[in-house]
Amino acid sequence: MARGKRHRVLPGFGLTCGYTLTYLGLVVLIPLATLFLKTSSLTWVQFWTTVTSERALFAYKLTIGASFLAALVNSVFGLIVAWVLVRYRFPGRAILDALVDLPFALPTAVAGISLCALYAPGGWLGGILQKAGVQVAYAPLGVVIAMVFVSLPFVVRTVQPVLADLDQEVEEASASLGARRWQTLRRVVFPSVLPSLLTGLALAFGRSLGEFGSIVFISGNMPGRTEIASLLILTRLEEFDYAGATAIAVVMLGMSFGMIFVINVLQTWSRRGAV
Amino acid sequence: MSIEIQGVTKVFGDFKALDRIDLTVPSGELVALLGPSGSGKTTLLRVIAGLESADEGSILFDGEDATTRHVRERGVGFVFQHYALFRHMSVFENVAFGLRVRPRKLRPSREDIRERVMKLLKLVQLEHLGKRYPGQLSGGQRQRVALARALAVEPKVLLLDEPFGALDARVRQELRSWLRRLHDEIHVTSVFVTHDQEEALEVADRVVVMSGGRIEQIGTPEEVFHHPANEFVMHFLGNVNVFHGRVEGGKAVFGDVAVEHGETATATRSSEIEPLDDEAKPAKVFIRPHEWDIAVYRNGRPAMEAVVIHVNAAGPVVKVSLLSESGEPVHAELPLEHYRSLELRTGQRVFLSPRKVKVFFD
Amino acid sequence: MAGAAGHFGGTNKAGGRVGTRDPRWMRWGLTMVAVVFLAVMLILPLVIVFATAFSKGWAGFAAAIAESESWSAIKLTLLAAVVSVPLNLVFGVAAAWAISKFEFRGKNLLITVIDLPFSVSPIIAGMLFVLLFGAHGWLGPWLAARDIKIIFAVPGIVLATVFVTVPFVARELIPLMQAQGREEEEAALSLGASGWQAFFRVTIPNIKWGLIYGVILCNARALGEFGAVSVVSGHIQGVTNTMPLQIEILYNEYKFVPAFAMASLLVLMALLTLVVKHGIEWRAARSHAQTVDETVGVAATA
Repeated sequence: MARGKRHRVLPGFGLTCGYTLTYLGLVVLIPLATLFLKTSSLTWVQFWTTVTSERALFAYKLTIGASFLAALVNSVFGLIVAWVLVRYRFPGRAILDALVDLPFALPTAVAGISLCALYAPGGWLGGILQKAGVQVAYAPLGVVIAMVFVSLPFVVRTVQPVLADLDQEVEEASASLGARRWQTLRRVVFPSVLPSLLTGLALAFGRSLGEFGSIVFISGNMPGRTEIASLLILTRLEEFDYAGATAIAVVMLGMSFGMIFVINVLQTWSRRGAV
Repeated sequence: MSIEIQGVTKVFGDFKALDRIDLTVPSGELVALLGPSGSGKTTLLRVIAGLESADEGSILFDGEDATTRHVRERGVGFVFQHYALFRHMSVFENVAFGLRVRPRKLRPSREDIRERVMKLLKLVQLEHLGKRYPGQLSGGQRQRVALARALAVEPKVLLLDEPFGALDARVRQELRSWLRRLHDEIHVTSVFVTHDQEEALEVADRVVVMSGGRIEQIGTPEEVFHHPANEFVMHFLGNVNVFHGRVEGGKAVFGDVAVEHGETATATRSSEIEPLDDEAKPAKVFIRPHEWDIAVYRNGRPAMEAVVIHVNAAGPVVKVSLLSESGEPVHAELPLEHYRSLELRTGQRVFLSPRKVKVFFD
Repeated sequence: MAGAAGHFGGTNKAGGRVGTRDPRWMRWGLTMVAVVFLAVMLILPLVIVFATAFSKGWAGFAAAIAESESWSAIKLTLLAAVVSVPLNLVFGVAAAWAISKFEFRGKNLLITVIDLPFSVSPIIAGMLFVLLFGAHGWLGPWLAARDIKIIFAVPGIVLATVFVTVPFVARELIPLMQAQGREEEEAALSLGASGWQAFFRVTIPNIKWGLIYGVILCNARALGEFGAVSVVSGHIQGVTNTMPLQIEILYNEYKFVPAFAMASLLVLMALLTLVVKHGIEWRAARSHAQTVDETVGVAATA
């Protein structure tokens, strides 16, 4: 008495799965498809000259370079912050811990204007830095600072749970075998957080690639100096150069999708590392 | 209510969890599905409950086809392995759930619900814990709440998935005899799954031994223990020594030993095809550790020589590990008093003669 | 945790576990680095928002908020959130139910697609809708012929907001419901409950905190979205300006006090989000610890 359709005991599969697919189709997939359709209206030569124009190339370089630098800064400080939050106890720890998520919750425009005000020449930090000969606002460094802000939670929040779950007995075993504290940290603790650290780095990098709101204020948006890829797309759109905007958007989207793949691989790796 | 399972097959991907299972559970019986993990016992239980659908075959309740009946309408009480208590509801609310979700017409009044829940909590000896939440209970208490919750809807069949699996040894022992008493009291047809042979033999009226998605043997605890149908059942129910030997002239021969295996062997299917001629047939000879007679001197009975290598005398039954002449490890068990009279020592040479052997042809 | 109340940077969570204690200089050094980094990166930006917003006192702050253009921006922002949060809430619950309670092929792909809006730059997100509904877009002429305005109008803003907030509820619920499994729902059905009864009486109470958390994150993003909305808005003051867009305009016009006054409202919203998030996490951790304690207690007295 074979039945063709697999009988499911819990109800609602058809309803929820159907709704999910329809909704995603309408809200996400159809709009995304238009982007690729629009691109296909360009010839290869047009596409190539648009995406490799000098201005565009500079925008990619700045976006990728600054994102990478920001992710690197956050890896170093994020690891330290995670370690301190998990292992040490001090007054105000809980508040700092909660505050780490601020960049997730704070609108990027607000972050943008407050960072700009802080680092502008004559601002609270900008004034000090200016005396030291460092210009942040309206310079590439400003782009990096804004990216550090928006991607700050990623490394902390991926490393923190791994550190918290780390069995202290392993460290004790290492110590009992004669390792010094530094050797234990380097050879036992660090390798076990490395996969999550890299995952955090990749997430932070991916977030920075697409960031817009917090950067536009502090960067000054000078083509060939502080213009990021997102902004170039917006500029093209405002000039009604849809084809140009689309071409650059496809390049950026390709990078983002590449990052999804990288992050998936890294996450599989870190899950495997977890016993 | 009786349960009849006819030719049920269930496949998960490439894995055949159940392979044409036929089984009848008579009304009012307490039946154990016993087998190692992956034997299909839990799947069979879930198919009976309607939590899993059979790919082939049918399930009959009291002779009525229930194969396509939804779990909601089967009238089964299911006790989940990890209890699946509703963690946001108190013990009282957990037990009352099945009554509260009934359609208005069939729903008992608030007072009736209260009365019934309290009666059930009393039955499972938890009447003082009604206001607690599942998270605040011990494992054994959760188990009893799960049982009371399943009983609240007055199921015609009670199904329990590894009911004692997650409990520690002492609680498990207590709950076992409690479940047996409870069943004698309420007499609802019950099926429970276990991988613990001791549990199955102690609690059930009837044991169904399963492996690889098939039923190996069905019988009372006594039957399956003393008259195992095949090698698998022999191995699964208790320790056993295995020797590779042969059957020749009506005798089981292994090593230098040849023994009659007359009446024990005729009870099994495999020996029914035993050839009556004198031709030797290769066979496996099974001897339970407690079926050995140990002698310090050769006494004329067919016996194998062995050396004592370890003795564990902590308990009423002494466990002796030996090494036979041919180098095979042998396990024997004997009562403490007998052990004392023998004065066994490590390194001593002894003679082992089997009281009872079981033969299965290769 | 012997050192729980220890002095600043002084103690180790390990307490008595001497073998895993870091040297004192390291504890001090690392704690200082972490505190200074977080203070400069996170606290200073917050301080400057309030400092500037109130630089002309309460009166200046109130006057800035009371401006009609600010007020209409606030209303439009709330509208965008009121539409997108419930839509994505229903979507998130449906998606999580399908993914966590059933096995089917392509499940991982589906999860990836749900997360896609997170990987799409906000500018590109906004642009998608311009390509679709804009004057030169695919449906532009058709819409124009019927006098329906989506881009540079309120519907476009709502659509863009919906797009960027799609994943929030779903991605909170999916791992939570996967971890909870389906046994409790199966138990409910075996006790005679209908599918909806199982959902409302068993599933919803179990996921309620995850649901709330997903909603407040979704809400925070909906209120604060800037890039995507900026592309589709057209920046018509008093009509299609949301709070973040209004902040941009005010800031670029050097109207710092009003800009930061408006920003301070969004900062409050963000801080409230953090408070709720950590309240939920704290509650979960506490109830877990309590459960374990009491289980041990009960087991010991039983």
